[in-house]
Amino acid sequence: MKGKRYGGLFSMLSALILSAGLMAGPGTAPAQAAGPGSETCKNCHASQVESYEASKHSTKGDPRSPANAGACSTCHGEGTAHVEAGGGKGVGGIINPASKSLSSDAKNSACLTCHQGGKRIHWAGSTHAASDVSCASCHQVHTGKDKVRDKLTQAETCYACHKEKRAQFNRPSRHPLQEGKVTCSDCHNPHGTAGRALLVRDNVNDTCYACHMEKRGPFVRNHQPVQEDCSICHNPHGTTTPNLLKARSPFLCQQCHEPAGHLGAPGVFALAGPTPRGNATLVARGCLNCHTNIHGTNNPVDGAGQRVFRR
Amino acid sequence: MNRHTRYGYSLTAIAAALLAAYGPVQAAEVDAVTELAKPSSTVNFGLGYIDTDAPRFGQYSGINKSGGYGLLDADIVKRDDATGTWIIFTGRNLGLDNRELRFEHARQGDWGYFIEYNQIPRFNPYTVNTGLAGIGTATQTINGTALRNVELKTEREAVTLGFSKNLPAGWDFQVRFKNEEKDGARQWGQGRTNPVTIPPSPTATVNFLTDPINQTTRQLDAILGYAGEKLQLSGGYYGTLFENHNTVLNVPHSTVFTQMALPPGNQSHQLHLAGGYSFTPTTRGTFKLAYARATQNESFFVVEPRLNTRSDLGGAVDTTQLQMGIVARPMAKLSLRGNLRYEDKDDQTPLAQYTAVTARSTLDGFNEPRSIRTLTGKLEASYALPMSFRLTGGVDYDEKKRNTFRVASVSQRERTEETAYRVEMRRSMSDTVTGALAYIHSERDGSPFLTTVLNCGAVVCSTGTDPVITSTASNLIAPIHLADRKRDKVRLSADWQATEQLSLQFRVDESRDNYGQRVGSTLGPQTGEARAYAVDAAYAFSDEWQATAWISRDDTRFEQLTRPADPWQAKLRNVGDSFGLGVRGKPLSRLEIGADLSHANMRDENRQQALSGTATDVVPDISTKLTKLNLFTKYAVKKNVDLRLNYIYDRFSTDDWTWTRWTYSDGTQVLQSPTQTVHFVGVSMNYRF
Repeated sequence: MKGKRYGGLFSMLSALILSAGLMAGPGTAPAQAAGPGSETCKNCHASQVESYEASKHSTKGDPRSPANAGACSTCHGEGTAHVEAGGGKGVGGIINPASKSLSSDAKNSACLTCHQGGKRIHWAGSTHAASDVSCASCHQVHTGKDKVRDKLTQAETCYACHKEKRAQFNRPSRHPLQEGKVTCSDCHNPHGTAGRALLVRDNVNDTCYACHMEKRGPFVRNHQPVQEDCSICHNPHGTTTPNLLKARSPFLCQQCHEPAGHLGAPGVFALAGPTPRGNATLVARGCLNCHTNIHGTNNPVDGAGQRVFRR
Repeated sequence: MNRHTRYGYSLTAIAAALLAAYGPVQAAEVDAVTELAKPSSTVNFGLGYIDTDAPRFGQYSGINKSGGYGLLDADIVKRDDATGTWIIFTGRNLGLDNRELRFEHARQGDWGYFIEYNQIPRFNPYTVNTGLAGIGTATQTINGTALRNVELKTEREAVTLGFSKNLPAGWDFQVRFKNEEKDGARQWGQGRTNPVTIPPSPTATVNFLTDPINQTTRQLDAILGYAGEKLQLSGGYYGTLFENHNTVLNVPHSTVFTQMALPPGNQSHQLHLAGGYSFTPTTRGTFKLAYARATQNESFFVVEPRLNTRSDLGGAVDTTQLQMGIVARPMAKLSLRGNLRYEDKDDQTPLAQYTAVTARSTLDGFNEPRSIRTLTGKLEASYALPMSFRLTGGVDYDEKKRNTFRVASVSQRERTEETAYRVEMRRSMSDTVTGALAYIHSERDGSPFLTTVLNCGAVVCSTGTDPVITSTASNLIAPIHLADRKRDKVRLSADWQATEQLSLQFRVDESRDNYGQRVGSTLGPQTGEARAYAVDAAYAFSDEWQATAWISRDDTRFEQLTRPADPWQAKLRNVGDSFGLGVRGKPLSRLEIGADLSHANMRDENRQQALSGTATDVVPDISTKLTKLNLFTKYAVKKNVDLRLNYIYDRFSTDDWTWTRWTYSDGTQVLQSPTQTVHFVGVSMNYRF
């Protein structure tokens, strides 16, 4: 089997680069991890090399790409010793970034060599990083089409760990995730963010406003929980109650509102037709049968109902 | 010039949609790597047919009427190897109402641009029988026409443009602009208690209306980035604009309100800068600074009576964010993580009196700007133990400070703070068993609840010895997001490669909340519980045959108390049981087959019970079931041509009474088929070239 021979210095350098923590930043050409070349690797790993050749990593026109460094060796380690030994799992210091026996830091180091900027600036210390999630846990590298980067199939990858979200997205009231119109990464940046819950805009409301900007206001009459956090009332992943509400009226509203007048009354199921303090708070739109502008109203009128979001 | 065509994977949008719809089933991947790597541009075309109207099935796809549908998808990718230039065209569901098109042209590592069109319909799953005229317009007349069935719909059409350029020395620039038009009508309404002069009384008038949606949303993202060996930066501008082309809904002749305010236009501008610096290979710091100004100065629609002469609200909200974090490994086995975030949302909207007040009312008549400051902190230490175990302990802190008002109708609290303590044992590096067990305990409290007072103007309300009068029905409920709370949470996850063929996953989440009440009161949120269990299995019979199965249960409960006169409790519960099965196989070299089955059974409980006094109504449980079966085959007619057959069975059933017991004052009714069963058949050809 033919292969190029490289000095021991290059081999050592490659090993150091791949086994350390955070190394060469992105935007630079990847470390010159010399190796036998992808054509040699193809003798035993034909499907992997072919799929690599379909990916952006194999684009020679991009000076940053692994194709201009050591190709396979850029991520998998200098493979000359592996080839000379006849191959085998881990033989000759070869690295599998998807291996279960490597730490996530070791697995991620190859990727972070180039992919640490932009949306991945906050990866170190993020929830996923702290949970030992590695890049290969979610991403398919040896392919022209990474399943997690396709809106139709992304959620499958997330459901591998987030089972409760799988159940919630099967609820009757939901975002159109199953249809591929909304996807997990529309709201979350799994690579880490400055805010809570890996939200793309760092807080709940600003993330929701990207699509629901009509709720932003501010309004002449603000509804305090609306201005503080949409998730006080809504579960964006899916609910049985319509409009992604966590609970049905009047019970949801009674979790905050004082029992003055009809506010403290139980739901009435028996009556027909709209009645105050009766089934008008339980059926149809519930409290919103009257309090229809519940997210806030910009109505400046001095008149009945304005202050309580009825107009 | 060598021009090679890189090949996209040949999975049809329908099949992919089915895959996503049946995502709960972990689809085994039959030769996935080979399939995805196989080079070809693909065009998929065919026909689909559903046998019946299907409001739920086609809610977001438009496949909601019986009949035929054209299926057309394209995925064309070309790469010039010498220059690294890509041309990518993607079209999905081109024959349907939720079509997407994207064109991208890029020289990898240098520049790129794209244009994208995306259509998102939402078909109301209900049918409305109404005499409302002017549906979807800014003037609607109650009973302006004879009763007839209408089907409401909203639709978003978004066009996105993007451009990126790699600059020398590790810099890059990206800009992205999105314009979305949303039009249509959604269910809405108006209502009020009738004055006692209108018999019979007490009763209410509740009219059906539609929210006339004619809105434009624009977003502009411009980001300058730097990526060096140790330092990475990302800074830029994020601007948004919302325009509502309808500012008011006019309802002439309505006995409730003849004008209803619609959401006002608003805009925001944000500057942000984020960065990370690797001090050493094992120590890294991150930060983010952001400042945003959001304004709302939509002109008021002319309406009388008015208490001030303002022409608009003058709404202005400034939000400042500062985040700093560090992660370090001071010893080989010890990792430390710390993070601090501060956000100040300062509502600077000017105060003005909009509402006249009477003595002892629960409002002072002024608008109420809402400001909130949030401070969160996190400290965590993690130590590597033998046998690939790791022990982690952490503390999370969350403090919120809100502005308050002297006169209010809901309990207020200036400050809440919550401290959570976490301990976790994790095993990550193993070929057989990996997983984690975590326990989290958190406690929330804060400043004392304010005593909300009635408005007596310049005079302090008094009954003599008691200087402050409050309504007898106030200062009783600690709102759910302000109340003291103790939370205990347990999380267990385990992945087990039992044999070479069989892998198993286990997940358990349990959480319990206990809420505190206001002094002297037993009312308000009491307890909450949440449980989620899941077991997943994947089995590879051979290289050609794989199967998956999963089962899950989630159960959420909440208990609360309130009263009109006598106290009563509500016990709320939502429980769902689901399972899924999937099979993929290749019985012949040219033939692939697959099947996915999933079923979900959900139940909503709203159990009311009087603790004294008059008994409460029994509110029936709501049961909802979803069953989905997908069968597909793919036959290789030729090396680059596949014939695909899809069959989908979808069944939705519910006994939801939300609309079945309701008729609007104007006679409108909202209708839904309690059981909807759909059979979908699709035939398509997939052509690779």
